[in-house]
Amino acid sequence: MNEADRLRAAMRVGERSGHGVLDLDAVLRQGRRLRRRRRLTGAGAAALALAVVVGVPVAVRSAGAPQRPAAPAAQPAAGATGHPSGPTAGPTATAAPTPVATDAAPPEPLGDVVRSGIRYGAEERVFYVVPVDVPHLPGVTIGLMAGRRTADGGLAPDFLVNDVVGDDRRDGFHEIGYDQSGPHPTRPLVPAFGYFVGPAERIVGTVDGRQVAARLVRWSEDPRVVIFWFDPAVLPPGVRLDGIAAHDARGRRL
Amino acid sequence: MARGDAEFVEFARAASGRLVHAAFLMTGDHHRAEDAAQTALARTYASWSRIRENDAYGYARSVLVNHLVDGWRRPIREYPTEDVPDRHGDDVADEVATRRWLLAILGTLSPRERAIVVLRYYFDLPEAQVARELGVSVGTVKSTSSRALEKLRGVEAAAPEGTRR
Repeated sequence: MNEADRLRAAMRVGERSGHGVLDLDAVLRQGRRLRRRRRLTGAGAAALALAVVVGVPVAVRSAGAPQRPAAPAAQPAAGATGHPSGPTAGPTATAAPTPVATDAAPPEPLGDVVRSGIRYGAEERVFYVVPVDVPHLPGVTIGLMAGRRTADGGLAPDFLVNDVVGDDRRDGFHEIGYDQSGPHPTRPLVPAFGYFVGPAERIVGTVDGRQVAARLVRWSEDPRVVIFWFDPAVLPPGVRLDGIAAHDARGRRL
Repeated sequence: MARGDAEFVEFARAASGRLVHAAFLMTGDHHRAEDAAQTALARTYASWSRIRENDAYGYARSVLVNHLVDGWRRPIREYPTEDVPDRHGDDVADEVATRRWLLAILGTLSPRERAIVVLRYYFDLPEAQVARELGVSVGTVKSTSSRALEKLRGVEAAAPEGTRR
């Protein structure tokens, strides 16, 4: 028996059958409460998103494809969720992460597709800028997509973030994407990601009192736009940062 | 009871033993393990209509492991329990020794590393699937598994003769 087999065997020691281990009535009660809460939260989030984006859903405009509305924002706007004061891990402008509608025509990347090195078997996590169309917001024309480069070389979009007020090229941090959708049967969780506009050479987040460094790549079409993401090994997907800061080449905070 | 509920209860009865045991391997705490498994099953039930036709067990396992990775940051240690397995003499002594040996190894790992080891060696998942479920790279899964085995060698070398497996 080799070491891996010994570890496997040891892990099975003490395993009991499930019968009577858990109170399944309590499980059902807890599950029903959660289901009700999700329904209420969904309704509340939709109402909030409408208020934030003045009742207009974000539309993803694919090159050569007709415009169609994407799914409405499913999470409350980051600026309205009560982030702690001080250094904030949210954008200075209010924005709403927008899940990508799975039946949408995939938006074409603007500029280079950024490879992250994060692999899921034959697939790799990638980030790319896509055109977005937010009516009444002429200053917002781009969003940042987290997708996967598939084994056949295609792109599978997973999670899109974009501003819903102001200007998508103003200096500073823009919307940060936190994938809090929970386990999904068809795609891996998306690491925390976003973009910063300015001469950032280093971006550091804080969570639970520790610092985590982001990986940075400049966008090929506008080098002021710095795309960043946090390795899932240092920041689990969906976990919100307590703070985030960007520094220039001389170490000055931006 | 609705048909969906009956299906879920049957599923939960079949799955709960392994889920509780996996949670125990990740926490070293029987009570926390049961709480975590109950939470994972409740979340699974809340999404039952969406996942029942897919991999419901995979969903529950993934919820459990990610819940523990994100929420259980305390160091692992074994808590005393009155829950003695229904076995005799040497079996119980063997089981206790094995569990201590195993928790000694797992206790040196971070919650995420423990999750990798449990998914890889308890649930026997391929490396790519472990990476997908935890949102980490395959390289991280490989290096963590290798480190765990290395620690196993270290603990084994230091262990008294009677506790070696």
